[in-house]
Amino acid sequence: MMPWRIFFWGIFSLLGVWLQSLIPGVDFLAPGFILCVQEERWPVTVWLAVLWLFIQEGTGSLAFGSGILWYGALAGLYYFGHWLFEARNFLFMFILGICLGLLHFLLTYVMAYLNDWTIITERVALECLLQALIFPVEWGLMFLLYNHLPEDANAL
Amino acid sequence: MGAREENERLKAELGVAKRELAMSREKVSEAERLAALLHMRAPAGWDLSGARIISHRLGPNASLETILIDKGSLEGLGVNTPVASPEGVVGRVLRISPNAANVLLITDPNSRIPVTSQKNRIQGILRGEGPNKELTLEYVPLGAPIEENEILVTSGLAEIFPKGIPAARVIRVAKGGSSLFQTVYAAPLFAPERLEEVALLRRASDSHLAMEEMADEEAGPREGPLPLDVGDSASPERSAAAISAAPPTAQGAVEKAKPRPNGGSGTAPKPGHAASRKKRQEGT
Repeated sequence: MMPWRIFFWGIFSLLGVWLQSLIPGVDFLAPGFILCVQEERWPVTVWLAVLWLFIQEGTGSLAFGSGILWYGALAGLYYFGHWLFEARNFLFMFILGICLGLLHFLLTYVMAYLNDWTIITERVALECLLQALIFPVEWGLMFLLYNHLPEDANAL
Repeated sequence: MGAREENERLKAELGVAKRELAMSREKVSEAERLAALLHMRAPAGWDLSGARIISHRLGPNASLETILIDKGSLEGLGVNTPVASPEGVVGRVLRISPNAANVLLITDPNSRIPVTSQKNRIQGILRGEGPNKELTLEYVPLGAPIEENEILVTSGLAEIFPKGIPAARVIRVAKGGSSLFQTVYAAPLFAPERLEEVALLRRASDSHLAMEEMADEEAGPREGPLPLDVGDSASPERSAAAISAAPPTAQGAVEKAKPRPNGGSGTAPKPGHAASRKKRQEGT
């Protein structure tokens, strides 16, 4: 892995965690996961996914397993969707963002039901909306930045 | 040296002084917070230790009103360990890992604490309603006298929180409707977004208690406020943990803040206490 890419993913992870503390309930690392699946070799993706999974599981208040379900479902949606759409298409990412928003609602409610917890519906709904809007925009920015890294053969 | 060089040098010195002033203010603020934490007094049979807040709600799985603290099972914490601030009850430990713990705040809708009103001794269940919302006190009978601004303290009935810790302040009492109970609204005593350090309350073991009583009998009546006497507090672990929660600079500030009733060292333990502690250590 090139040093610039290590730097890129390091900075991305730090920024992602910082943004997550600013806007709780929204996953800012998920667009990086999809970009990683698209652009990096699978060992890099697996290592980064495990790191991000630990961050999300450790900082979250839901029972252990929600992060695995979250990233597992995201990977599943991507692999299912890329048979139907162009994988690096913004429209596909937009649809994936909407699916993630709905998934956040579903997952939160299922986990809350299993734990017999009460969830603030208005807040979860707002988080879903933000997740759906932020995901494609962040992916687009990350995609542009990644493809302008110095060592990249496609860099302009 | 020309006027220009001197001007540049003075500007550089001013920049350094401003940075130092900002850092000093931050340290003073931290020392004040830590001193307030050290002034907290653990109820009889409970030990007190400090913890820092690592983060507030963070990430897609942060569905509950929680905070993450830097102490975990390795420091002896367990699920339901009570968490408090100098103002009052903050919440209880919800999830635990070796070096960190998630604390469920009393403002979360899943939090329910049995409380008693401090003045009129009316019991009820204090329930969270979500962030930036009032807490509600449930199951208060219609005829029960309860006043605005009355402090609600933990009743100790659930055996999670010790009895008598302030939890909330009554802000509104609504009577009427077909319900058999009054609707009482209360406000938490702490501001969740401003919390930086918290205190953890843990039960002291029975044998530990007995030894403390023996030590107290040997030493006679205490002079001065108990919580300030850090080196001589109810538990050595408590003191160590409370001190370890403070950085060296803050510890110094806290030490300076301690009153010295005899004009001597405020932290020096009494001879009787020191002897009894030595005996305890040898015994264990």
